[in-house]
Amino acid sequence: MKFSFGNGKAARRFGCVALLTLAALMAAPAQFAHAQDTAAETDPENDPLEPMNRYFFELNRFFDTILLKPVATWYDGVVPEQGRDGIRNFLDNLRSPVILANDLLQGEWDRAGTTASRFGINTTVGVLGLFDPAAGWGMPKHSEDFGQTLAVHGTPEGPYIFLPVLGPAPPRDMTGVVVDQFFDPLTYIYWDRAKTVPVTRFVVNGIDQRARSLDTLDQIERTSVDHYATVRNLYRQIRKNEIANGQRDFDDLPDIENLNFDTNEPNSPGMRF
Amino acid sequence: MAIAMASRLTGFSRWALAAPLMLCLSLMALPASASTDEAKAFVETVSEKAIAIISDKTADKAKRESDFRALLAENADMDRIAAFALGQYLRTPTDAQREQYRELVETFIVKVYVTRLTDYNDEKLSIFGARERGENQAIVQSEIRFTNGREPVSVDWWLIKKDGGYKIFDVNVVGVWLAQEQRSAFTSVIRNNGGNFDALLAHLSTQIGKAEAGELPDVASAN
Repeated sequence: MKFSFGNGKAARRFGCVALLTLAALMAAPAQFAHAQDTAAETDPENDPLEPMNRYFFELNRFFDTILLKPVATWYDGVVPEQGRDGIRNFLDNLRSPVILANDLLQGEWDRAGTTASRFGINTTVGVLGLFDPAAGWGMPKHSEDFGQTLAVHGTPEGPYIFLPVLGPAPPRDMTGVVVDQFFDPLTYIYWDRAKTVPVTRFVVNGIDQRARSLDTLDQIERTSVDHYATVRNLYRQIRKNEIANGQRDFDDLPDIENLNFDTNEPNSPGMRF
Repeated sequence: MAIAMASRLTGFSRWALAAPLMLCLSLMALPASASTDEAKAFVETVSEKAIAIISDKTADKAKRESDFRALLAENADMDRIAAFALGQYLRTPTDAQREQYRELVETFIVKVYVTRLTDYNDEKLSIFGARERGENQAIVQSEIRFTNGREPVSVDWWLIKKDGGYKIFDVNVVGVWLAQEQRSAFTSVIRNNGGNFDALLAHLSTQIGKAEAGELPDVASAN
């Protein structure tokens, strides 16, 4: 995700705000966690801005219907698969520095090695990242972002927030998106220049990802009794899985042993994710 | 971010890396016990039956749904699944509402999963690990490997014993527990209607109605 800054001064001010937010989040995970616990008692979904979030959710859906989805469908139909894969590989390769920085900040040395090797191999043998030979050589791609890094170091997600264009962006992950800009060489290369390249990257990335999830998103929409709540839950579960780098934690599951309609226990506590 | 998330739903790459590692770990940590063997055998049988149902090109949608319903009735703990999906509203419905809810939720689940499982017809599930969870529960880890070279999809099965044998309670597909997703939507509907349970029943009926009317893609057309 790419922000286009109007000018360098605004960018620096934005950066300051972001870093202050970050410092506050990192310095006070305990209070934050406590605040979240108390919030959870009244609102098990931790979604205090739900009406606003739902409004933006519908707004995004509207623009998706009239603009993004038609463009993505067209892209999916017109651009051959090799072309789309090349674009995907190229964009993923461009993101390598951000992934590497976060691998390192999480102390994931092996994964950092993989990311660095992938970047080296795919940029050269893979013709500037258009191909992904490294994946075939036992170095499959993985993703990281600063939101995950914060989570690894104990920062809770915070209340759910859904933003126009960006989608689900709770404070921890929103901070991550902002900080990741500073790990990205392109941010500095285009700091004082026209933002054509970063904007193009953002737009093409969005179209490609939408094109890759046409069926999945349709299916989720059609099979949900509450589309917004389903997306919120999917976002949280998927983030949790990404933060754990795909390692399942089966000790963390809710207690289901005595769960049925006939027990005389009081209402089960709000189980939350 | 929503878009990025969805694409992660469809293609999970890190699993390719994690799977062999977890296989080794599970082989080291868990000596094969009679109970995990039982759990694995159960998942193997059920998954083969499920894949056979959705891959049956001669059956129409109604036949597939009724076969799938029978499979679930036999092998899933539907009472517990239905109870879990209500979260903190477990005690909200009256007896009559509860009866209706049980009916609707079963139909809903059958329709949703016959649709969602279409992707996996003619594929095979490989089981690579299992562990017990307390006395009555087990987790079986597996993945679906695609013949067309698509990245494998990880599937974890959460089983609980009922009447002496294992039943399915929940299934995790690429990191997402389906019953938890279901519960999130169900409780949200009730909460946003001021705790009115009938709102959930109405929503379920509407979704099922849409499926009947063909707004859900038919398995045959999706093949």
